Amino acid sequence: MTRLISKQGWVLGLLAFLALLFVLTTVIQPDFGISGLDSLSRATLPFAFATAGMAVVVIAGGIDLSVASMMAVAGVSAAVLMDGAGGGGTVLAVVGVLAIGLAMGAINGAAIVYTRVPDIVVTLAMLFVWEGVALLILKAPGGAATPWLRELIVGNVIFPWLPRSFVFLVVCVAVIWIPLSRSRLGLSIYAIGSNELAAYRSGVSVGLTRIAAYAVCGLFAALGGLTLTMSTGIGEPIPGPYLMASVAAVVLGGVVLGGGRGALLGPIIAVFILRLVRMDLTLASVDPNVTTIVEGTIMVVVVMLGGVLAMKGRKT
Amino acid sequence: MKRYFQGATIVSLLAGLGSVASAEGYTLGISNTVQGNGWREEMVCAMKAQALDSGKVDSLNIAHRNTDAAGQLEDIRNLVEAGVDAIVLNPSNSEGVNSAIEEAIAKGIVVVAVDQAVTAPGAYILSNNQEEYAYLGAKWLFEQVGGSGDIVYMRGAAGAGADDDRDRGFKRALEEFPDINIVHEVFTGWQQDQGKQQILDYLATGLPVDGVWTSGIDNVIVDAFVESDAPLVPIVGADNAGFVGQLATVDGLVGAAVTNPGSIGGAGVTLALQILDGDMPESNTVLVDPAIWANNDPAGMALIEGAQNPNLDPEWPVSVSIPGWTTYTTEEIIACKGPGE
Repeated sequence: MTRLISKQGWVLGLLAFLALLFVLTTVIQPDFGISGLDSLSRATLPFAFATAGMAVVVIAGGIDLSVASMMAVAGVSAAVLMDGAGGGGTVLAVVGVLAIGLAMGAINGAAIVYTRVPDIVVTLAMLFVWEGVALLILKAPGGAATPWLRELIVGNVIFPWLPRSFVFLVVCVAVIWIPLSRSRLGLSIYAIGSNELAAYRSGVSVGLTRIAAYAVCGLFAALGGLTLTMSTGIGEPIPGPYLMASVAAVVLGGVVLGGGRGALLGPIIAVFILRLVRMDLTLASVDPNVTTIVEGTIMVVVVMLGGVLAMKGRKT
Repeated sequence: MKRYFQGATIVSLLAGLGSVASAEGYTLGISNTVQGNGWREEMVCAMKAQALDSGKVDSLNIAHRNTDAAGQLEDIRNLVEAGVDAIVLNPSNSEGVNSAIEEAIAKGIVVVAVDQAVTAPGAYILSNNQEEYAYLGAKWLFEQVGGSGDIVYMRGAAGAGADDDRDRGFKRALEEFPDINIVHEVFTGWQQDQGKQQILDYLATGLPVDGVWTSGIDNVIVDAFVESDAPLVPIVGADNAGFVGQLATVDGLVGAAVTNPGSIGGAGVTLALQILDGDMPESNTVLVDPAIWANNDPAGMALIEGAQNPNLDPEWPVSVSIPGWTTYTTEEIIACKGPGE
């Protein structure tokens, strides 16, 4: 038990904070219930996938500033491919979009590895490249999403309080992350993020691992873009506010920005916290210009508090 | 657990959330997805001022931030959770937020889309006619340059629904003038600084320009011509206070402002309140057609001079009210206070 607490302390702390926020939500809005949970969970989807992708590259010691633009490319590709597609066509479109995501991520990673230009510069440039690609695919919001695919994230499943969108998120992340984190590649991703030289000397192929990490990020970004199209029913070529939000959730979720430490559970709980804070501020009709200040302040305070607790823990 | 609850209650009281809305007035929700743009700020202020002036609104829940359609879905659903009676929104595009609008309507909430249309059945639309907006200005401009010449086409934000509508209107005018040549097409992103830099860059090349069409990023374009000592050419903009002022005062400037009232937000609040009071409009859609004010036409110049208001922010449209729809005063919209503020 003690081991669990010390190992997952940050995650447990985030969960406690999330629980506290739920209590606060019911205080502000006593009617908060099933539909509220559903709204929250659906709003979380694109942010959660962007965050998952960002977390993987950050664990590998990098950063990907093009995540929101890749989501836009995936979203418009999905909307164009699914426009008028039947059942089989939709499945093919989804597979195609995921492949596009993997390819975009791999291109980002390869550009970093082979040009040796810093990741922050390459992905900043790719932010504009993917933004342009999205606009080439669709110059204005348009396309369509297949209705049955959209239904996958609407309503609840098994229990009334269990939103389908939440199950969709958990299944997608688990299917990708659990096998990956336990594989040799997963270990290598942690290794190059922790100490690149040591990883290299232990026989890890640093370049290929980095490309793979970016490809996984691209895959998550594609899922994020897909959920955008699923929730709106159309493709939007302008990237949404997912870049900064994903970096914020990664940091809040306990992934060290230098790399090598953290996992996906913490950042995804952090996404729920940030969305619930936004919901609470709307429910409480707080001045919208104050809202962003509150969001930023909560992040700084939580991360600082975490730092202090970590230092205390080290001393004892 | 009891302590938890006590703590949470204290937190909520501290934040001033403990107040319970009185039963009489309505609670309105507002959703807007562009922040920091003069036009949108005027729209939000018009909503606040009209809600206050109507005396029928107890509180406003405003979701006002820069986001995409998915973010607006989240905002609308949060407003539904907040238990508002009506939602007035500026949709990020015509189809992307339909699912949340339909959920709101299913819960008996009145939904009014302003500025741009939505396709959700049951929603009310009070919209500026964006295609006509671009067509009117472009046609005037092409006539000014004698039906042939080099035009700089300064659009809004790439991929935005309103920009796409305006592009259709612009292209429609272009078809009528086959000798017009678009020498440069850029997206200003509806950002003043970006638009100014783009026109400065173009002027620095020394390439020909006979006229400039802007999607409402206008006064900085005139500034750029004046500052770089370039000969002024006909310029089309919107009825923003800064540009309308320039049309009246800058020597040698021939230009036209196309009206695009941000106060449509206030009109949307009025429509929502009418529907809540059981007074249904004849049609679900009301389109507000733009007008053009050219400073080389006496009637246009009279309108331009009548609209001068030095108290307005230069980025705000001068048409701060819409007769028959809004009841607040100019001072009230500039104060930008809603109920309870």
